[in-house]
Amino acid sequence: MWATVRTVCKKELTDHLRDRRTASMIFFLSIAIGPLLLIGLTQFISSVEKKAEAREVFVQGRENSPQIVNFFARQDVSIKDPKADFRELIKQGKHGPVLVIPKSFEEKFQTGTAEVELVFDDTRQDAGNASIGVLRRLMRGFNAEVSTQRLIARGVAPQLIRVVEVQDVNLGTAAQRAAALLFIIPWITLLVCVSGVTAIAIDVTAGERERGSLEPLLMNPVSRAGLTTGKWLAVAVYGLAVAALTMCGFALTLTFVPLPNLASVFSISPAQYLGFAVTMFSFAPAVGALQMLIATYGRTYKEAQTYVSYLIAIVSMAPVINMLAQFKDATWQLFVPMLGQLMVITRILRGETVTALHFLLPFAINTAISVIAVLLISRLLTNEKIIFGRA
Amino acid sequence: MIEVKNLKKQFGDVQAVNGVTFTARSGAITGLLGPNGAGKTTTIRMVGSLISIDSGSAKIDGIDVASDTDGARRACGLLTDSRGVYTRMTARENIRYYAELRGVETARSEKTLARFVEWLDMKEILDRRTEGFSQGERMKVAIVRALIHEPSNVILDEPTNGLDVMSTRALRELIKRLKSEGQTVMFSSHVMQEVAALCDEIIIISHGRVTAQGTTAQLLEMSRKDNLEDAFIVLSDVPAAPHTRKEAA
Repeated sequence: MWATVRTVCKKELTDHLRDRRTASMIFFLSIAIGPLLLIGLTQFISSVEKKAEAREVFVQGRENSPQIVNFFARQDVSIKDPKADFRELIKQGKHGPVLVIPKSFEEKFQTGTAEVELVFDDTRQDAGNASIGVLRRLMRGFNAEVSTQRLIARGVAPQLIRVVEVQDVNLGTAAQRAAALLFIIPWITLLVCVSGVTAIAIDVTAGERERGSLEPLLMNPVSRAGLTTGKWLAVAVYGLAVAALTMCGFALTLTFVPLPNLASVFSISPAQYLGFAVTMFSFAPAVGALQMLIATYGRTYKEAQTYVSYLIAIVSMAPVINMLAQFKDATWQLFVPMLGQLMVITRILRGETVTALHFLLPFAINTAISVIAVLLISRLLTNEKIIFGRA
Repeated sequence: MIEVKNLKKQFGDVQAVNGVTFTARSGAITGLLGPNGAGKTTTIRMVGSLISIDSGSAKIDGIDVASDTDGARRACGLLTDSRGVYTRMTARENIRYYAELRGVETARSEKTLARFVEWLDMKEILDRRTEGFSQGERMKVAIVRALIHEPSNVILDEPTNGLDVMSTRALRELIKRLKSEGQTVMFSSHVMQEVAALCDEIIIISHGRVTAQGTTAQLLEMSRKDNLEDAFIVLSDVPAAPHTRKEAA
């Protein structure tokens, strides 16, 4: 049997390495995705930071309150006039939030409580909304300053109205805060790994049927399990290569490309890479086996592609489901391929404790998937409908 | 030698093969002749252990196909109508893949290959990738890869289907050569002239059963006709049993 496995695996590897178009596509996709993603992220984060830090705010009606203008100036904030149709533009996400000071402000301010409007659209998740916080904080500061002055003028200790002083103590380390973005690395790696082996997984199963090479292949006096195992090994090698290349892409970018705002967050140690690699080690072969199993039902490459695309859709949805359902890291996730890998790799990158269970359980599950899928494919290859059913 | 006894196969409610019995002798060419859907391919697939046998038995050189499938596979080389080759590999690599799967030593398979290359005039295509090969060229690759382990029994299912004159002729020569080397050659066809020109023994299959068997002369005598085509029509014209219209696979 092992001679068969070796022969088949060797043949499939050479055969598919010669498929230049697919091979180079996979190669470039996996090696390029890391750098592209990280550089894109850097751009995104720095633009958010820039806008948030921008000491520039839009104020309409600055002539209505010299005090506010004065306060903003002392905080090193420069005031810009909004565009005339800013309300419409904000809705379209084309304008930052605007502080509106009404004409009646000064009069009300002298006699009691004055009002200002803060105009924004919180359905817009673009970077401009970061300055809502800035405006709120400024107005809170202005409020505190004026009321303190008024209390002092009346001979009242300002502490009287500050029963509870709230101080921000953020326990999240810089790394943890960015962990929200960190899931992208394992997600993309897993996804590239899944879609990277699709072509070969289909070619070694449905491809054989479509070409009419399956029937003669099965005429050889070798076991179906041997044939299937050989094919699966080739697919697994491809999957692992894709995963390794993708990880290399990330590693090289993080090492050699200066990414100022990501450097502290995405500093991944060799040990973390190792944990990452170990997790991928059983995942890649399992998704390969699963795709082969599904593709075996396809009479043509195209038909198989349709079937496999369902699996890929589910896999790519995993982190979204995870986010929407707000799953906390729980042991049950380790039983679910993709969710388990996502959780473990994210924990590793976040620098949280990872136990042997985190590696062993997904490994066992993935191995079981691989073995069961290979056995099922071997059985399908005795099915006359599969052997002779051609489009 | 290939011995088939009372072979039966049913697909759904269609009895594709309904008790076929015949013997293909060593050193002779046996032709399975029958109209489309008569059960030729199904019979060949059972003998080649590609599909299971419902009842009856098939033996290749005395090896029972059902109980020693791998042994029977080693003893025969089978060419079906599935002649797909791997297009990113050369003809030689395609053939070598099968030699390796069958555990044939490289030196030996190279020797066998050299013989076939000469017989089938494959020198120019041998080290070319099979992408874009003509039907005839693909057939040559498929037949060599099926016979690379030098089996003593050769089974060919409609081997000349879709081939041009040159390729058909090359194949005919090959079949004669195999016979002269003492091998059992069995092939199916629905082309009368081909069968008449090559076969030592003709087996007419119709509606899943053997309706006549013998040399060309014997068949002519049996049917009282003076050409094989007429003889074939007479001899294959037996009333169909219920549900035996069409070969399913």
